[in-house]
Amino acid sequence: MLPGGVFNTKYESDVAILRTKTQWFLLALGIVLLFLIPLFAPDYWLSQLTYIAIVIVAVLGLHVLTGLCGQISIGHSAFMAVGAYAVAILTTRYGLSPWACLPISALAAGLVGLIFGLPCFKLKGFYLAISTLAGWYIIIWCLKYDGFSSVTGGFIGLPLDPLTLGGLDLSSRSALYCLAVAVMIVAAFIAKNIQRTAAGRAFVAIRDNELAAEVSGISIFRYKMLAFFIGCLFAGVAGWLWAHSQLRVNPNQFSLLDSIWYVGMIIIGGWGSTSGVFFGVAFLKLLEIGMTDYITPWLGDMLTSIKLQVHVATDIVRGMVVVLFMMVAPRGIYYLLERLKIYYRLHPYAYWAR
Amino acid sequence: MDTFLRALSEGILLGGVYALIALGVVMVFKASKVFNLAHGGVLMFLAYLTWWLLEPKGLPLWVSLLILTAVAVLFGLTLDRFIFRPLIGQTMLVTFIITLVLGFTVIPGVGMLLWGGRPQVMHVFPSGSMTIGPVTFSYTFLFSFIIATAMFLIFVLLFRYTKTGLLMRCVSEDNLISQSLGINVKWIYAISWVVGCLSAAIGAILLGSMFAVNSDLGGLAIVHALPVVLLGGLESIPGAFIGAIFVGLSEVFAGTYVDPHISGFRELMPYILMVLILMFRPHGLFGLRRIERI
Repeated sequence: MLPGGVFNTKYESDVAILRTKTQWFLLALGIVLLFLIPLFAPDYWLSQLTYIAIVIVAVLGLHVLTGLCGQISIGHSAFMAVGAYAVAILTTRYGLSPWACLPISALAAGLVGLIFGLPCFKLKGFYLAISTLAGWYIIIWCLKYDGFSSVTGGFIGLPLDPLTLGGLDLSSRSALYCLAVAVMIVAAFIAKNIQRTAAGRAFVAIRDNELAAEVSGISIFRYKMLAFFIGCLFAGVAGWLWAHSQLRVNPNQFSLLDSIWYVGMIIIGGWGSTSGVFFGVAFLKLLEIGMTDYITPWLGDMLTSIKLQVHVATDIVRGMVVVLFMMVAPRGIYYLLERLKIYYRLHPYAYWAR
Repeated sequence: MDTFLRALSEGILLGGVYALIALGVVMVFKASKVFNLAHGGVLMFLAYLTWWLLEPKGLPLWVSLLILTAVAVLFGLTLDRFIFRPLIGQTMLVTFIITLVLGFTVIPGVGMLLWGGRPQVMHVFPSGSMTIGPVTFSYTFLFSFIIATAMFLIFVLLFRYTKTGLLMRCVSEDNLISQSLGINVKWIYAISWVVGCLSAAIGAILLGSMFAVNSDLGGLAIVHALPVVLLGGLESIPGAFIGAIFVGLSEVFAGTYVDPHISGFRELMPYILMVLILMFRPHGLFGLRRIERI
């Protein structure tokens, strides 16, 4: 629903993402503010925000795969690991420039993703999720395996050199933050526009009804594989950022639980909406920070008998929140906000909002 | 030859236990079309409960078993009433994600919060072993196999020959028509969840005494149940048994013959099986081929 007084008089204005001057102004202001944060935010929050930006890039990929195409991947953190390891191996063992590795990381993750997307030739729904679960385990096993440790570094992993750009050192917290946010904005722009291409519409058709999509002439296998490939490209880029923000990769950084939380973020944010990804990641991540920084230490002091394992309370609460969202608000925060917006725009005539 | 026989017997014994675990997943799927990934989490929780009742509390075995059964039944009823009954009619993907989140984070998390999550040893079966020819069976594995097979048969016979079993098959075919024919569909769903949790309880005792009780037990269980269920086809109970023996055998053979060359290959085996089954025989050996309508 458009705000009062705004009418679409041209086709272009109907398909535009930003329709009014106010929206342009707010977007510009938001981006400028994002880049001004390093000036006043403390280090701890800066690194957390960098992490959030990286996760947003990964989850945007999952959004293309899950939110648009309806295929669930619970191996997304492993595809991120492929991207991270690609840059770590190529820069440390072969001395490539990290910037040249960015497309290589993305492609490597995309190609590995294609392998585990192959079962979608015959299958649909949760079978594919099981294949990606197996994929997560197989990838992480390969990274840990002793026989490959001359390449991957085994359990210990690999260190990376700090990132530089033409003599400019990018390894400080604020520089990394700006880089991550810039990549995040570009990724969001691409993800939003994928939704508006022919491929994006095909994805949505497959999500909504596979058989109907096939009958309408959409090659299911090709588009599912494409969705897998695109989703894993994003994961590869996120892995590249992750490797440079940590300056070390090891297999334990990419846990199965992380992949499950990525799916949870999509659900909390709202299936199939790009802005939902931002809400979902921010919500679940802030919940985690709040739990680990404030609630669990307090809980550990209250109940000393479980002080050692009290950190799992974070996982329990996050899991319950995801389940609650699925049961009570399955369309996520995005839809709740949309409802609020419609209510506000129609305010005295709320009964119109049907 | 001796190595081969030893691997063969161990594989079959393990397979029997996997069959019982997979049965829990198949039972729930047959009745309510929920692919229950929470099975492993429930199993891990109940394994810690059994250990806690037996070792630190020192209760006799039969009291512990009674408490365990009661908790498993309660668990099944709670899952059914508060999580999955409100979700009847949702797509399979929704329930899949919920069981995923419950089974990998919430339920094992609660177990770890209560009991610490350190590896523990549980003594249920007499220690010692028995030798037939070149092969030595430990009593734990032997008894586990016998109990698992017996329970498997009991569940299958109940499903096949009792009225409740017939009703469960009826509901799995079409819950709306079943309801209009006067079948209490809610009750059937509850029963299927209780049966699922009971099979998890038995699996908890068996796996917990075969390996140590630890926080990875749930993952171990579900990871072996998945290829079994996929190979058996999600609808077939005998298929689950044959699939389980196959998975047990391939795992142990991989452990015996490949592990010396590629260490840790045994743990990788179930996952490789999963991917291969999904690529080449997605409907399993005995599953139904579905015809889709718009």
